[in-house]
Amino acid sequence: MNNSNSIDETANRRGFLKNIAASVVAAGALAPVTLSAKDDPALIEEPEWGKKLGFPVDATPYGQPSPYEHNVIRRVHKLLSSGDMYASVAMCPIQDLSGIITPNGLFFHRSHGGAAIVDPNEYRLVIHGLVEKPLVLTLEQLKRYPSESRIHFIECPANGSTEWRAPQFNTLQFMKGMMSSAEWTGVKLSTLLKDVGIKPEAKWVLAEGSDNSHMGRTLPVEKILDDAMVVWAQNGEALRPEQGYPVRLLVPGWEGNLNVKWLKRLEFGDKPWHAKEETSKYTMLTPSGKAIRFFWPMEVNSVITSPCPDKPWTDLKKGDIVEIEGLAWTGQGTVKGVDISFDGGKNWVEANLKGLVLPKSWTRFSYMYKWEGKPILLSSRAYDDAGFVQPTIDQEVKVMGVEAIYHRNAIVTWEVKANGEVNNVHIRS
Amino acid sequence: MFTLEVKKISKVVALTLFAVTTFVNAGDVKDVKGPSFKERAIDGSVEYKVKDNSYAGVYKVNPQVAKEKIKYGRTPSKTEIKAGDIDVRYDWQGLPDGKGSVAKGDELFEAKCAMCHGDMGSGGKGYPKLTGGDITTLKNQLVHPENGDEGPERSIGAYWPYASTLWWYIKTGMPFPHPMSLSNDDVYAIVAYLLSVEEIQIDGKDLDDDYVLDKKKLMKVVMPNVNGFYPDVNGKDGPMVMKKFLSDPKNYGTPTKRCMKDCPTAKVVHIKASLNDGITPPLSEKRDMPKEKKSAGGDNKFAKLYKAKCSACHGNDAIAPKVGKKDSWADRIKQGKDTLYKHALKGFKGMPAKGGNADLSDADVKGIVDYMIEQSK
Ligand code: HEC
Ligand code: HEC
Repeated sequence: MNNSNSIDETANRRGFLKNIAASVVAAGALAPVTLSAKDDPALIEEPEWGKKLGFPVDATPYGQPSPYEHNVIRRVHKLLSSGDMYASVAMCPIQDLSGIITPNGLFFHRSHGGAAIVDPNEYRLVIHGLVEKPLVLTLEQLKRYPSESRIHFIECPANGSTEWRAPQFNTLQFMKGMMSSAEWTGVKLSTLLKDVGIKPEAKWVLAEGSDNSHMGRTLPVEKILDDAMVVWAQNGEALRPEQGYPVRLLVPGWEGNLNVKWLKRLEFGDKPWHAKEETSKYTMLTPSGKAIRFFWPMEVNSVITSPCPDKPWTDLKKGDIVEIEGLAWTGQGTVKGVDISFDGGKNWVEANLKGLVLPKSWTRFSYMYKWEGKPILLSSRAYDDAGFVQPTIDQEVKVMGVEAIYHRNAIVTWEVKANGEVNNVHIRS
Repeated sequence: MFTLEVKKISKVVALTLFAVTTFVNAGDVKDVKGPSFKERAIDGSVEYKVKDNSYAGVYKVNPQVAKEKIKYGRTPSKTEIKAGDIDVRYDWQGLPDGKGSVAKGDELFEAKCAMCHGDMGSGGKGYPKLTGGDITTLKNQLVHPENGDEGPERSIGAYWPYASTLWWYIKTGMPFPHPMSLSNDDVYAIVAYLLSVEEIQIDGKDLDDDYVLDKKKLMKVVMPNVNGFYPDVNGKDGPMVMKKFLSDPKNYGTPTKRCMKDCPTAKVVHIKASLNDGITPPLSEKRDMPKEKKSAGGDNKFAKLYKAKCSACHGNDAIAPKVGKKDSWADRIKQGKDTLYKHALKGFKGMPAKGGNADLSDADVKGIVDYMIEQSK
């Protein structure tokens, strides 16, 4: 290959190409080529970036995505805030994600008083209450404990809450973007607490954050000793401020809100606390007029990510073989399988899981489909090894009504039109 | 109307037919097996174990860790623990002494809370409504707003099971821009005021203006909706009660069977009024170069500082003169920069000194004021 074209020659070539009617040009090689209207200039012409230096290795000490990806961002909606953007949520663009890991800059961000910027030198974790030996740790000391890494999603229980009554958003980002997934690194609480000694009367733990909201939540000791962790890293780097830098609680599979950020205190007690997020909020009002008080795990769930309203099939031709791809997840175990329906849930076939299949984690599924250019109603339904199946809207609403706000995990259906457009629809009696 | 009714009935029939077919072809419904109750974790989920140095069969673990007793850090002093122990449990553990009157609470609420939560906490400003709900509406289900359905009206008095939460939350979380700034007496006063607005009684008496709430009296409060929540987790076996509840998916509308063929389905409901319009920034799947951002006017540093330190109040005209809103600033700007600097630095009526940010240098505050003026001319 001859890459030594001078700038002048290049300019000449560009001039020629613009005037495609003239259509005898030097291609990548030197020999002149006759262009037909069908030939793709992207293949014929040496691109801009092939003819100059890129940016130097010291230009971005902390790397950034390509500027062309500037539309892949978290987004907000006034309706999903408690008044302003300090008590609100920024949704993760899951329509644009691949695999089961969310880049840290795109991880959904829910805060109740803005994201605190905590000085790691002043960070302290206090463990007290019904324990033999109360403990205070600096960040450095905490990180001396042996670490483990786990891949888990975190999902706000309000994910999908706008859908209880009727379909309202026509984008995956706002239907399911109140969740993200990462590899978390920290110490298991069972390791950390061994020397602290939990007293037998201790049944509950209050986990409290140090931010503006002083977020406090009650957890049972059993979960703390099962798989809960105190984590300081997310996908290989320190937690982002939005995720509780320098330290958050990680409660695999449980409501996002229980994964207390900017964690400063764990108090052991014999009774639950009934914090604000266990009374006024994060409780589920049912048609009986009574509300479910605590609801810990995020239930089995799934959604087809391709196609979706943001990623339609408008470019497909009749007869194309296309991959239907999606995300399944459960906080109650491991995804065991996913079924797919093309007729709005009347008949189902089994899809295939692909990639890593881990406990309390996002799991990818896949199904190869021949597109006939005829309208379909495309749904997915996940089930897990806890024995639970994703409900239809009717099944869920029958028990929960439409005022529960939290924990909506009913089957999602896409209406794929003959032209490949995709819309969010509900299948309801 | 009549035709609608008929349609509904025929649909019910159709659904029943589907259900019957499903039962006949039992092979088309697959059971999904889970562990026994005993094997389940506290939340009804699968409990994974470490076996052969592997967790759940997928993560390797170092077996040495379990054998060691590892200890870093130190024992905190009683004073250190007490300083951070700011919670108030539902059984009142942690409630400090103090007192305050309904009248004082009214005054404080007006000055520090009403700009966001509305007059007497009645809402209407975009922030949560605190008062004026109705416990008799909690059964309401807002299914068809177009048919005049009404939803449940939740508020402190109509929904919250415990008054302890109110005290704790206001003390540690409010006022929103400056939590932990209220004295215990102030919190008692505001709690007294909100309870009186919600017509909660103590010892069978209304809380009128000169009622003084203190620790002993607050501990007598029983909220009207105290029994409005389930399951009951407050007993000795609370976590086990939760395990039973969560292990039975019927409690939350989750099935354990997969219907594969001729399953009951229903009609397709489309989006009526899409909420996509309110998404910020607007959705886009384009892959193009970003447009040059217009500079927000003024020095970027001060724009950023403004956003971080002042916009919580100044972004909302209900709280403070809104930056960018000319009407709200015209008269203020007429006072001259020096006065505005002084008011920003030393405080002025509802405006705390430096907006409550003692860490800001005087020069930075002045820079922000310049930016605010620039944006609001
Ligand atoms: C700048 C606006 C603002 C001010 C001023 C303010 N609040 Fe709030 N308040 C909020 C926001 C925002 C929330 C919701 C926070 C969240 O979502 O976690 C809230 C929540 C609450 C709640 C819980 C509401 C519920 O239903 O869960 C109470 C109670 C409350 N505030 C009381 C007060 C009191 C008392 C004051 C004055 C001392 C006050 N607030 C001042 C913005 C404000
Ligand atoms: C807690 C809410 C709050 C915060 C935070 C806040 N302000 Fe204010 N500010 C106010 C209120 C309320 C007023 C209106 C006072 C009045 O005139 O009654 C005000 C008024 C002002 C004025 C006009 C004063 C006048 O003489 O008319 C300036 C200038 C100002 N603020 C600057 C700032 C700056 C700079 C910051 C951030 C460093 C800031 N404010 C943060 C509440 C706030």
